[in-house]
Amino acid sequence: MPNWQKLVREHLSGLALHSSEREEVHSELAAHLEDAYESLLGEGVSEPEAAKRTLCLADDWQELRRGIQKAKVEENPMTKRVSQFWLPGFLSLLLSMSLLMLIQFFGPKPFIPSRSSWTMIAPLAVIYIPWFLLLPLIGAMGAYLSGRAGASRRLVLLSILFPVLPYLTFFLIGFPIALIVEEHVTHNIMFGAFLAGLVAWVFLPAVALLAGGLPMQFYFSRRLTQRGVPSV
Amino acid sequence: MIGSGIKRGTAELAVLSVLQDGPLHGYELARRIEQQTNGALRFTLAALYPMLYRMEQQRWIRGTWETSANGRRRRCYRLTPVGKKKLSPLQREWAELFRALQRLTKVAHA
Repeated sequence: MPNWQKLVREHLSGLALHSSEREEVHSELAAHLEDAYESLLGEGVSEPEAAKRTLCLADDWQELRRGIQKAKVEENPMTKRVSQFWLPGFLSLLLSMSLLMLIQFFGPKPFIPSRSSWTMIAPLAVIYIPWFLLLPLIGAMGAYLSGRAGASRRLVLLSILFPVLPYLTFFLIGFPIALIVEEHVTHNIMFGAFLAGLVAWVFLPAVALLAGGLPMQFYFSRRLTQRGVPSV
Repeated sequence: MIGSGIKRGTAELAVLSVLQDGPLHGYELARRIEQQTNGALRFTLAALYPMLYRMEQQRWIRGTWETSANGRRRRCYRLTPVGKKKLSPLQREWAELFRALQRLTKVAHA
C-alpha cells in the first residue's frame, strides 16, 4: 500500500501553519486517501489502478496548499492578527515589565551613602543593566511567537519592538503634554535629561530587543524559504 | 456533469445537508454527496478540504478527532447550531434560484 502520510507530507510541507495544525492536516488528508484507496480495493479494483485513481483525488497539490492556507489563516484575519502580533507583543511587554519589577524587588540592594557619587550610578548598575541584558531574550521570544504564527516581516519586527512602544508613547505624547499642563515640569526640564531618557528607555532597549529578535526572524524566514513559502 | 462555478456555490449546501443526518469524516462525506447526487458532485481534496476548513472557521461545522472501531483516527465533522441556522436560508435561496431557472427555461422553450 502506498505511504499516503509520506506523500501528503512531501507535497504539503510548505503549509505555513503551526506545526501541530500542519500535522493534523497531513493526517486528515492521508486518511482520506487511504480510505479512498481501500474502498477501491474493496470494489475489486487492482492495486495499481486503485493507487492511480486515488492519486487523481489530489491532482493539484499547489491549489490544495493555497486553498488550505487561505481557509486556515487568511479567512480569519482577526484571529490571525491576534496570534501574529497582539499576543506576542503583549506577552513581551508583560515579561519586560515583570522583569523590571522583579529585579527591583528581589535584586541586590546595596547600601549607598547619600552623598556618594554612587547614588546616580547604582540604579543603573543594579536595575537597568540586568534588565537590559535580558531584553534580547524577550525580543527573541516575541519574534518566535510571531514567526511561528506565520506573521509577515513587518509584524514580527513590531512584535519584537512592542515592549518599548509604551516608553516611546510616553516620550512622544505624554511628556510634551506634561510640559504644557504641569508647571513644575516646564521649569525643571533639561533637554539633556529628556534625550538621556529617550536613549535609555527607547533606543537602547530597542537595540537589545532587535539583537535577540532579528536572528530569530532570520531563522523563521530561512525555514519558510526552505519549505518554498515566500515570506512577506 | 455540473460546471465548476455552480458546484462551488452548491458545495456548502451539500455539506451542510449531508451533515444534518449525523457526523461524518472527510472521505465519507465526499462519498455520501457523490452517491446522493448520482456522481454530479464529486470532490477532489483541493475542493473539499479548504471548504471544510473555511466552514469550520465560520463555525458552521466542527471537526473532532475520533477513533473508529478498527482503531483508526479520523476527523469527524458535525453540524453546529450556527450551521443548522445557516442551512434553512441556504436551502430556501437555492430552491428559489432553481425555481427561477426552471421558469426561465420553460419560457425560453415555449
